Amino acid sequence: MKSSILRAGVVALACALGLSACGGGSGDLYLSGAVYNVTKDGLVLQNNGGDDTNVVSPYTAFQFGNRVSTDDQFNITVKSIPSNAKECVVNNGKARANYYTIGQISVTCTIKQHALTAVIKNLTGSGLVIINGADRQNVSVDAKTVQMAMVNEGAAYGVTVLQQPTGQTCTVTGGYIDPNKPGDVGNGTGTMGPDENTTVTVTCTP
Amino acid sequence: MKFSLARPAFALAITLTLASCGGGGKATFPINVTVSGLQYPGLVLSTNGQDLTVNPPATTGQDVVLTFPNQIEYGQTYEVTPKDATITNHTYTGGSQPKHQNCAPTLFPAYGTAGQLAKIDIRYACAILAYPLTGTVNGLKGTGLVLANGSTAGTIGVNPVLDTNNTPTGAAVTFAMNPVPYNTTYGVTVLTQPTNPTQTCTVTGGANGTGGGTMDDAAENNKGVTNLVVTCQ
Repeated sequence: MKSSILRAGVVALACALGLSACGGGSGDLYLSGAVYNVTKDGLVLQNNGGDDTNVVSPYTAFQFGNRVSTDDQFNITVKSIPSNAKECVVNNGKARANYYTIGQISVTCTIKQHALTAVIKNLTGSGLVIINGADRQNVSVDAKTVQMAMVNEGAAYGVTVLQQPTGQTCTVTGGYIDPNKPGDVGNGTGTMGPDENTTVTVTCTP
Repeated sequence: MKFSLARPAFALAITLTLASCGGGGKATFPINVTVSGLQYPGLVLSTNGQDLTVNPPATTGQDVVLTFPNQIEYGQTYEVTPKDATITNHTYTGGSQPKHQNCAPTLFPAYGTAGQLAKIDIRYACAILAYPLTGTVNGLKGTGLVLANGSTAGTIGVNPVLDTNNTPTGAAVTFAMNPVPYNTTYGVTVLTQPTNPTQTCTVTGGANGTGGGTMDDAAENNKGVTNLVVTCQ
C-alpha cells in the first residue's frame, strides 16, 4: 500500500517535471529559415503578429526567439524591410509546425535598383569602351550620355575606361568626392545611393 | 489418339507464350540526357561504350535534350560521364568538357541500373569557368582601403602590414578580388581611400594597364589576371 502510493507520487512528479521541462507552450521546434538578397539591417519578421525578430549580419538566415510545438499554427509575416529593399516576400511562411514545414521557410527580398549614367565629354575618336565591372558599354562617337546597367542601392560602382578611343585619352571623374581632400574630383567610383540621377563624367582629350 | 494430338499442341502453345516473354528480348531503356547552361562546344558524354556529342543550343539559355544512340537492357548499369573523365565515387573530373565551361550532373545521380526507375533521365548543368583576379597593394599605411570591381562582383577591404609595434610598414600586401567568369570584363577601382594616414591609391595593371580588361583566352591561358598593382601614396 505504502509503496504503491510512493510509486504513484514519484511517477506523477516525474511527469510534471518532464512536462515543465518542455516549456509550457514554447515547444521544441525552432522557426528558422534562409534569407536572400538582404544587405543591411531593417528586416523585421513576425510570427502570428508578435515575437519580432531582426535579421542581422551576415543577413543569410533568421530564427525566432520563441519555439513552437508540433501542430502549432505559425504565420510568418514581414513587419518592416531594409531601406534599400523594394519588397520582401515570405515563402512557405504559413503552416502547422512539423519537421517538414519548418524546414521549408525562407524570405526573399528584392533590392531597389537605380540608374547609373555616364556623361561623355569631348569625344571625337571611335572605339571608346567603358565598363562598370562586368557591365560593358561601347560608346559611339556622337554619344552624349551612356546608360550603364542598373545598380543595386547600397552596392559599389566603379566606371572605368576599358578601351581608349582612337587618338584620344579619356578619364572618368565623379562618383564619391572626398570632402577632406580639396580639389578631389572623384574617380568614377562610389556607392549607389537612393537617388535616380547618379552620374559619372567621362572626359576625353585632346 | 485424339489426346496424344492435343498434348503436343498444348506444349507448343506454352513454348510460344514463353518465347514472347523472354526470347523476344528484354525491356530496353533509352538513356535521355538534358543539358542546361551549355554555351560552348566540346562536351562529349559517354556511357556503356557510346559517345554523345552535345552541341550548344541555337538559342543561348535553352536546354539541350538528347538520347544516346543505343538503348540499354533491363538490369544493365549505366554511368553518364564526360568522355574520358576521371571517376572518383561518382564524381567526374576532366574529360571532354566544353570550352570555358564545366558541366556536372545535377538534380539526380548520373548512374544507376536500367529498370530501377521508370525512365532514365540524366541532367547535366554547365557553368562558365571563373578565373582569379589578384594583385598587390604597395605602400599601404592607412586603414580602410576598399577595392571594387563594378557593382556585381563584390568589394574587398585591404589592411596594411603591421610590425610588432602595430605600426604600418607599407610593405606589399596581396589581394584577391572575386573570380571573374570567362569573357566578362573587369575594372578594379578604389572605392574607399585609406585614412590615418590619409593616402591616395591608384590602380594599374590588368590588360589595359589601368586595372581593366576582359577575362579572355589570353587571361584564361594565364589562369587568371594576377598583375594588378595598387599604389598608395
